[in-house]
Amino acid sequence: MPKEAAFPRSSRAGNSRGLLWLAAALWLLPSEALAQKNSPDIPVVSTVTAIQNARIVPSPGQVIESGTVVFRDGVITAVGRRVDIPYDAHVIDGGDSLSVYAGFIDALSHVGIPEPRNQGQPESVPDRSNPPFERAGITPEASARTALDPEDDAVEAMRHAGFTTALVAPRGRMLPGQATLALLAGTDASEMILQGAEPMFFQFEGAQGVYPGTPMGVMSKFRQLYREADRRRKLEAMYSEDPSGLSKPPFDPVHEAFFPVIAGNRSVAIWADDVLEIHRAMTLQEELGFSMMLFGLEGGFDTLSNVAASGVPVALTLDLPDKPRWAAKVEADSLQQILDAYDDETRTATFRDVEAEQRNLESRQLWSRARYVGMAAAYHDAGVPFAFASMGVDAKDIHANLREMIGEGLSSDAALAALTTNAASMLGLSDRMGAIRTGMMANLVVTHGSLFNEDTKITMTFVNGHMFEAPASTGRTGSNSPSDR
Amino acid sequence: MRNSIMKYTFSTTLLALLVVVSLGQAAFAQDVLIRNATVLTVTNGTLEDTDVLITDGVIADIGTDLRAPRGVDVIDATGKFVMPGIIDAHAHIALSSINEGSSPVTAEVSMEDVVNPYHLGIYRASAGGVTVSHTMHGSANVIGGQNETIKHRWGATDPDAIRFEGAPRTIKFALGENPTRVHGRRASGGSGAIVPATRMGVEQVLRSAFENGKRYMEAWDAYNAEAATNPRAVPPVWNERLEVMADILRGEILVHCHSYRADEIVMLTRVLKDYGVDKITFQHANEAFKVAPELAAYGAHASVFADWWSYKFEVYYSTAYNAAILTRNGVITSVNSDSGELNRHLYHEAAKSQRYGGLTDDEALALITINPAIQLGIQDRVGSIEIGKDGDVAIFEGHPLSVYTIPVLTYVDGVKVFDRENDPDDVRVDVDPTAEVGMYEGQITGKDHIHSHEEVVDMLHFFQSVADTHIH
Repeated sequence: MPKEAAFPRSSRAGNSRGLLWLAAALWLLPSEALAQKNSPDIPVVSTVTAIQNARIVPSPGQVIESGTVVFRDGVITAVGRRVDIPYDAHVIDGGDSLSVYAGFIDALSHVGIPEPRNQGQPESVPDRSNPPFERAGITPEASARTALDPEDDAVEAMRHAGFTTALVAPRGRMLPGQATLALLAGTDASEMILQGAEPMFFQFEGAQGVYPGTPMGVMSKFRQLYREADRRRKLEAMYSEDPSGLSKPPFDPVHEAFFPVIAGNRSVAIWADDVLEIHRAMTLQEELGFSMMLFGLEGGFDTLSNVAASGVPVALTLDLPDKPRWAAKVEADSLQQILDAYDDETRTATFRDVEAEQRNLESRQLWSRARYVGMAAAYHDAGVPFAFASMGVDAKDIHANLREMIGEGLSSDAALAALTTNAASMLGLSDRMGAIRTGMMANLVVTHGSLFNEDTKITMTFVNGHMFEAPASTGRTGSNSPSDR
Repeated sequence: MRNSIMKYTFSTTLLALLVVVSLGQAAFAQDVLIRNATVLTVTNGTLEDTDVLITDGVIADIGTDLRAPRGVDVIDATGKFVMPGIIDAHAHIALSSINEGSSPVTAEVSMEDVVNPYHLGIYRASAGGVTVSHTMHGSANVIGGQNETIKHRWGATDPDAIRFEGAPRTIKFALGENPTRVHGRRASGGSGAIVPATRMGVEQVLRSAFENGKRYMEAWDAYNAEAATNPRAVPPVWNERLEVMADILRGEILVHCHSYRADEIVMLTRVLKDYGVDKITFQHANEAFKVAPELAAYGAHASVFADWWSYKFEVYYSTAYNAAILTRNGVITSVNSDSGELNRHLYHEAAKSQRYGGLTDDEALALITINPAIQLGIQDRVGSIEIGKDGDVAIFEGHPLSVYTIPVLTYVDGVKVFDRENDPDDVRVDVDPTAEVGMYEGQITGKDHIHSHEEVVDMLHFFQSVADTHIH
């Protein structure tokens, strides 16, 4: 063997399942596939894979029953019902029980950016009203690229949930830096990085103990940075054209990071954690006129019409509110009865009938949670295209949450589109991924069973042609009992 | 499947709920005819057996035996009292954060950015006949943020929908113990302490801020003049904070200043005089009665508590005669709540000025209607029952200045926002899908300088690091 497997995490899978072909693939494929054509090492075996006798879903709504997909060097070379399998291909036979989907794209996430261990207390500063940029959480010049770590546990976890690509945002507070597009596999950061959009990541997260500490402070600080950057950008232009008679324009990397945003060459990726933050993001966008992408939007059912009218690209959170504690112990049928019993005109003197009031409050709470679960369906029904973002969501909850959303009216096709084609289009990746088509990157999810069924297992994920097999224990698409959460 | 059943029944439940929600969401501006009421106009005396017609959210007619337009809601108010919707000149309801306490001057922040239309405090206030609130930045900073004047359009979900459109901009200042404690005595005078630590320092912070604002304004004026002829003119450094200071100097922003002591009140009038700022309302102003003639001479206004004091050292010298003394000295005076509880009985608070000071009915009612309207610059729209003004009215069973009065109906822009006869248990617009039933975080409002749960969180957030650093 030329060297240790490229993606050592994958090498421990397979044997226990007793699937010999998988074992063979694991032994051979990753090591040579890593090398690809850029390595001085001579490839040991084929870089071609064919999955045959599989149910292929090239894009949402399309199905090729019993088809074949072939990819070489990370690029899909053929897909269809009758496809010649190259002589040097490593062949995976679906036995008419495997389905193949385009690899999922996570529209915004911290995947690949390990959570800092013990952050402790932030350092104190002499003047908290005017802290250094970094202390205030303002480092828009930074990039997720330098913080990417393929060893981050979330990379593997997300891959096993079917995700092959993500827009990765750096961690931090108000302006942690630029996000980067990344493949969810690689031996180092540079193998993960995809060229493409690098939006400036912004969230309404105040600094600890210094200015700006509140959402209103963050709003003001953003306006301040943007408008002063606008001034400096004009000064720069004037100075570079003819410096004669002009003082040297002020410079710092923070304001400079805004230049491409102001020029319209970089958009701002805003995480909106709740409905009020959606309004705040839209307020800033309207005032300053930058190009915006909006992520999260939890509780955004109330802003559906605003979002639809604005045409801003959105990715909805894959998170769902936890069920209330009282409901976790109640059987589904009883929950339904409680929900049905809601009476919006109940007026009880609390001291007379506490139980009636309590029951009514409970059913109202179920109704409220159903709105969160049904939000994706509501956006779809309103014709607002959306992707999904996993930021802040545990990978193992994702499929359970998706199933809940589908149960509340989201079609499977719409869910798949959000995970693939819509996300690709939002992130400018449609020419490379989001569908299974000749010429596209070999990012694939292979399942045993139809994607959003409760007992479906994701058996393999291919990232740029490299295979990753799901460990036996986490092969299911998620916990069977979301109420555990 | 459970999920599909859930979906189906959810929809039918949704239908029922939509009725409730759409009531609130309906276009604000409706029609209503109130019949045979005793109308307390505040500005034109009391009218017996009088009808008030509101169309498209505006008072269209006042008189007897008004013809009811087709389809209009008619309310028989025989034996009841109709007064202008109460205006609370000092509130902290409907906000997601209160204090940007990280700096002694934060003129640039604005409550407009953090208005929360879901806050239950709006409904509760309307249950006390309050239709407009001046929802303010906290008092942590000498110059805090800009405030927001809101209408109690309960049911709206868009923050912009509850803004009092066209209301002048206002800003919060604060003197005395709060800013000196927050900034000057951080962690008992620890290393984090900055100016101001004393009342002298407060004045210094004010003068510096105004001076900087003045220079900023001059720098931009100079630039604009030069740019007319010189395309290579260099604009001054952009400064959101000084933009707002300049707007105060230009008279575009009304100042509302948290204050208690007579000396600091006079100090601020002197500072403002030096910078040509004449629109000032002293909030709380427990010692304003001592300097009432001086306030009247300056044209300053006062917005006070009826009888709330002794909650900290600077608030010991107080009297329930404050509102009456100020009024009789010609100071435009209002009585405010600064509390999510007290705002529900501002009519009682106003009535106390009759027990302590013998104000007339109209004078007492003006304390919670036309006077706060004047202080907020919205007196052309609200604050009295006059043709052409907004259809914001409160209907009471019993005279609103009686201790036996009960608010029964409240209208904002002709829309019924509170009806005692139809006051369901659960009026929330948003319901936390996870929290324990019965928990509603947003309900905690009130209590002097810690105004709300949000503010507690803000403050903890700020002091967390410093508190930990300074434990010896």
